[in-house]
Amino acid sequence: MSKSPRRARFVSAAAAALVAIALAACSGSGATAKAPSTEPAGPFVLKVAYGSNYVFDTTGLTQKWWQQVAAEFKASHPKATVQFIPIPGSYNDIVTKLSLLYRSASTAPDVAEIPTGQIGLWAQAGYLLPLNTYLKSASWWGRFPKVIQSEGTFSGTVYAVDQGENDSALLYNKQMFATAGIPLPWQPKTWQDIITAAERIKAKLPGVTPLWLNSGTGSGANGLLQGINNFIVGSKTPTIYDTGTGKFVVDSPGIRAALSLYSQAFAHGLVADTSALFSPNAVTTPLTWFQQAKLAIAVGSNYYGGNWTKAISAPYWPQAPEVMGEAVIPTEAGGGVASTLGGWDFAIAAHSPVAKAAFDFISLAENQQNSIDAANWAGWVPPDRDYWILPAYTDFAPPYNAFFARITPFATLTPSNSAYSVWVQGMGEATGAIAQNPRTSVSQAVAILRNYVTGQLGADRVEVLR
Amino acid sequence: MKAPRTPMTARAGTPAPAEAGAGHWPGTVPAAEAPGRLAVPEGRRRDAERFQWGSLALLAPAAALLVVLFIIPVVYAFYLGFTNLQLVGINAVDWHFTGAENLRRLAGDHVFSYSVELTLVFIAGSIVGVVVIGLALAMLMQVALAPLRILAGGIVVVAWMMPAITAGMTWYASTTARGTFGTLMGLANSDFLHSEPMLIVTLANIWSQTGFAMMVFGAALRNIPRDILESAQIENASRLQRFARITLPLLRPTIVTTVLLITLISLANFGLIYVMTQGGPGNATSILPIYSYQQAFQFNNLAYGALVGNTLVILCAIFGAIYVRVSMRRA
Repeated sequence: MSKSPRRARFVSAAAAALVAIALAACSGSGATAKAPSTEPAGPFVLKVAYGSNYVFDTTGLTQKWWQQVAAEFKASHPKATVQFIPIPGSYNDIVTKLSLLYRSASTAPDVAEIPTGQIGLWAQAGYLLPLNTYLKSASWWGRFPKVIQSEGTFSGTVYAVDQGENDSALLYNKQMFATAGIPLPWQPKTWQDIITAAERIKAKLPGVTPLWLNSGTGSGANGLLQGINNFIVGSKTPTIYDTGTGKFVVDSPGIRAALSLYSQAFAHGLVADTSALFSPNAVTTPLTWFQQAKLAIAVGSNYYGGNWTKAISAPYWPQAPEVMGEAVIPTEAGGGVASTLGGWDFAIAAHSPVAKAAFDFISLAENQQNSIDAANWAGWVPPDRDYWILPAYTDFAPPYNAFFARITPFATLTPSNSAYSVWVQGMGEATGAIAQNPRTSVSQAVAILRNYVTGQLGADRVEVLR
Repeated sequence: MKAPRTPMTARAGTPAPAEAGAGHWPGTVPAAEAPGRLAVPEGRRRDAERFQWGSLALLAPAAALLVVLFIIPVVYAFYLGFTNLQLVGINAVDWHFTGAENLRRLAGDHVFSYSVELTLVFIAGSIVGVVVIGLALAMLMQVALAPLRILAGGIVVVAWMMPAITAGMTWYASTTARGTFGTLMGLANSDFLHSEPMLIVTLANIWSQTGFAMMVFGAALRNIPRDILESAQIENASRLQRFARITLPLLRPTIVTTVLLITLISLANFGLIYVMTQGGPGNATSILPIYSYQQAFQFNNLAYGALVGNTLVILCAIFGAIYVRVSMRRA
């Protein structure tokens, strides 16, 4: 019987991908704007789609959170039935599944949890409902910092509101720094200070990987969000996607400066080997390596602290607050705060027959208890700045939660454009080339990025900043 | 299934059917006119294929399935390849036929041409590896002790039975730093998977397909008549001569079929490579199925992804046609 799967695969081999693509394309539908609806009189169903095992830190907490919101919703809307559409898999799977659901008005979820990077494309495709009229009466919206409000806003129209944010900073092992004779608390003023500290560690603590820099194509957009993009947005030319011209930046002094930092770190042997960096789990590897005292510094994310708590245990490390220090990533000019920003958002389907109820659901999800629970359980900074100082949030993973919340207003959003994934691949190849062969020059790495993105998008969609 | 052109009964010396015999008495057919030519000249042969309308009804369900599940999707996918359909974004809803635009892009796409190269390398490497190792194993098994044969055969077949994801994880773990490969070679920190990616994924594919080839070749070897080999041995033919002049020619149809199957299975072995490298590092293992997936579902270009997939279908068809020709020529 063992043969049958192989045979089945052989028979369907040639057509499998095509069938998938063909099915994906079936049943398209147009989308037009619609006036805000009122509450339906009779019983109604509210369809809610969310990532079931990627967005939150554990599947148990995912269910607990959504059911908690649904219970509050049913208390205020007794005629409603909440129908969940849990989407398993990781980032790409969630995006693909949602894209397919959105293609038809009948399958589009009324409320969906969507990644920040997709809002622009789905809004452009006419899938999402403009929320401006609803937001006028939402007290929480005004407390979102400008940069968080802007992530779902295109030409003045708001299509999505944030559920929680990820930003970046440097995390470092204080004990190792003490051993290496680096004064604490550590706060590098320039990028060069990061290299200098890593070199001290390498000299004094052989066997420890001094610095973690995500690189290569394996981690996709996440690897860039928690890697080189932090330096690009902190450079003197922070633009990745030029919204004015609609072009991607494939060469700029900032990109060269960031790649030069990478090149230096790899050439001096300060970074982990390719087996670790190119692994599909690379972005979360520092969490374990820090706990095992194998790593000194990481360009890391705000969720590290929460993941070390008992509630999440990925891995559980109660001593983390004593061992691990935190420092902001300096800008290229020196001082300053550099960080990427990206998270998850709520959106309502353009044709939702129960749009008013859908917005009520989102409002409940944004209330104090639910927003802070989501932030703690998914490893986010909550979007509402009033919650940043509440003990329910700060005491979940001290001191990291409070620290990362303070970075948020200075952070820079990830581009929201359908071709960004092409730029991600090109930049992943550029950093990957440096990781594989540290003798790769900055110009060669830039050429990899430029050639790839130009080849995929055409010369009219790329630009060079001087 | 076609009926054999030469009826099994029409051997030299057997009586010819009266109406086809052109006046010869049974048993006295001249040698020149023997078997094949007995066939058609005048009148119909009784064993000729006859069309029966009722057969259409019996074939209809299979035909309907083929049309609905295979032909329509393939034709539709070919059409999609010439549109600007996207998975998300403005052309997800508002899409249309764009003529040869995608073809022009394909012609200038160096990632695509590299992907075609990688695909050919992957296929060629897999075929050579699987056939050589599969045949060697099958021949060694013939002379091995029974318990050893069962044990070795079992292990190879288990490797073949493993789902692509398990095989991929096994190879991923053993070819990266601190993996089995490096440790055995005394280079524990070498990252073979990322320094020689194409070699490693091809080896992984060979490893996972060899069990199949071994079983097919094993069965074919058992069907080679012993008396031929023995008479060659009596004539003082060396081992090599016996292998090259007797075993190999007799195995030829089996080898051709195996090569065809290995080609198609390898082209469909998306999961194995995707688990190991996701087409990386960079584009180093991005064979056509992976590039098609990347375009359609990572870059959201459903149409261009379909076009890349279509080239894969054409490539498969070309391979199929070559093998069919080769296997027909053996007669």
